[in-house]
Amino acid sequence: MVEEQRISGRHAWRGLDGPYAFVIPAIIIFGMFALYPILRSFYLSFFHYEFLRPEEMRWLGLGNYREILGDERIMGWPGLVRPEGPLSVWEIVFYPFVVLWLTVNSPGGAFWNTIRFTLMYVPPAIILPLILAVLVERAGRLSTLFRTLNFIPIVVSVAVISIIWMWIYHPEYGVANTLLRAFLGGEAGYTWLSDRSLAMPAIVIMAVWHGLGFNMLLYLVGLQRIPTEIAEAARVDGATGFKAFTTITLPLLKPTIFLVGLLAAIGALKVFGQMFIMTQGGPGDSTLSVVLYLYNVAFSYGRFRFGYASAIAWSLAAFIFLVTLVAFRLTRERR
Amino acid sequence: MMTADKAKRWGNSASLYLVLIVVSVMSVLPFVWIILSSLKPHDELYSKHLTFFPQHYTLENYLKMFERMVGFGFYYRNSILVSFGTVILTLFAGSLAAYALSRFRFKGDQVIFLVFLGTIMVPGEVGLIGQYELLSAYKLLNTLTGLTLSYTAFNLALTIFIMRGVFASVPQEMLDAARVDGCSWWETFWRIMVPMGASGLAAAGTLVFLNAWNEFIFALTMNNWTDEARTLTVGIQLLQGQWQHWDYGVLFSSVMLSFLPVIILFLLLQKTFMRGLTAGAVKG
Repeated sequence: MVEEQRISGRHAWRGLDGPYAFVIPAIIIFGMFALYPILRSFYLSFFHYEFLRPEEMRWLGLGNYREILGDERIMGWPGLVRPEGPLSVWEIVFYPFVVLWLTVNSPGGAFWNTIRFTLMYVPPAIILPLILAVLVERAGRLSTLFRTLNFIPIVVSVAVISIIWMWIYHPEYGVANTLLRAFLGGEAGYTWLSDRSLAMPAIVIMAVWHGLGFNMLLYLVGLQRIPTEIAEAARVDGATGFKAFTTITLPLLKPTIFLVGLLAAIGALKVFGQMFIMTQGGPGDSTLSVVLYLYNVAFSYGRFRFGYASAIAWSLAAFIFLVTLVAFRLTRERR
Repeated sequence: MMTADKAKRWGNSASLYLVLIVVSVMSVLPFVWIILSSLKPHDELYSKHLTFFPQHYTLENYLKMFERMVGFGFYYRNSILVSFGTVILTLFAGSLAAYALSRFRFKGDQVIFLVFLGTIMVPGEVGLIGQYELLSAYKLLNTLTGLTLSYTAFNLALTIFIMRGVFASVPQEMLDAARVDGCSWWETFWRIMVPMGASGLAAAGTLVFLNAWNEFIFALTMNNWTDEARTLTVGIQLLQGQWQHWDYGVLFSSVMLSFLPVIILFLLLQKTFMRGLTAGAVKG
């Protein structure tokens, strides 16, 4: 219908009063400041290039990408793939098995940290908001109030949220430890963000809390799309309460659950601010995420390795694309 | 029988409300806690017995903040300028392009739309390195202009996507009527499309505003030498680094001032916010 309403190309619009003039501001800004930087990063990812030493720029081919696979701080396993020289048979054939083994054994390294963060974050980010949305929907006249209150955290930036939660996790004056002491007694408490095994879960808890309202809203939109006749029919058939939820609501919500899960996973794979502000990737490298490492490689390790950082960025983008693709494939029949 | 049934139903809804109240309180509590803590005197904050409500209310933290955290007001100003600049520029360029893409057929229109749509899928972090180089080449690092242009570019695709849908649903008769009245296409845009798409523009605007106001990684990298164009998200984190061993109360008050305006804005424009954010959900 839209197509028919549009004016066909035979009408002439010379000069400033026509579609070309109308798209030009957007194309110039977008082309210069979004498209060009993205493509430039791709180009740079094939070069040895340090920003402060442009004269040393040289073609590396896939060297940067190979360095990623052998970078202990990303893959948690040193020297598996050499950055230069021909690939050996062992590198090509066994690498997938090594990666599998590494996944099972949950090593350090930015990539695995990011995967771990994603795996811990996504399930609660799917389930908790769903429960909340169903409850909010049933709250009748007060549902607007509950929706609003739970939505508040998401309008506040990750930066500010992270600072607030640093105080919550503060070992001495923090709320988390104060509550623990109040309920469990004693003087004990955890050093949340400087404990190797607690830092990541602590950040996950914060992230789930922060994203709760937004995901709830997506579910509420999904719930509104369920035709009331279906719910009515189910009630007549005797399906009430939990049974109605599992047999009617849940199947009809599948597209929304998929959307929430995918968005949560994509967001989690790009996690940066929380770690940058709260832990700087520490203790050790236990909360070093891919984007944080990328940022450090490019801007804070002093060498401004833009070529290598670009390769990390593009690898992450490719990985996210892959995850999206697989998610769509796997759920095609069920959606 | 009847009463037992009634009691059960009452119990059900009571537990429903109980759960909802607990969850909602958990969502809001950290903010309330910051606000209350910012009103506590110094020695109460540093006592072993953590209080929720201040025993004595005081504004000393705020006075101290304005006196000593000189950067704070400046970061605040920068955030406001960049965010509003981004919203205005994005809405202008974006809706004009959406007008062209939804109402005209011209050579290359499909390609242009697909390129915009395609970059919605690409994570912005991928452009970080190229962006830094570009801004550095044009002497736009550490400037408000550079940051605004960068934010505009990365919000354009989404705005065009949202506004194209909004403009496509404006009835053709209205455009025809405007044309018969002798309006140029440019005038038609301002007289018909903008008023008809006002609620869509507002939703897209709040989404862009939130994106710009809360953005962190670009603000951090594009301002890594000086303070000149540093925005609140990065600034407050710097101040936190400098002051955390010094005075919590001052920090609480600065954090409180950085989230309060956005929360108030949200409470006033709830529906618009929610529409904007769900429309933006296509962006990962």
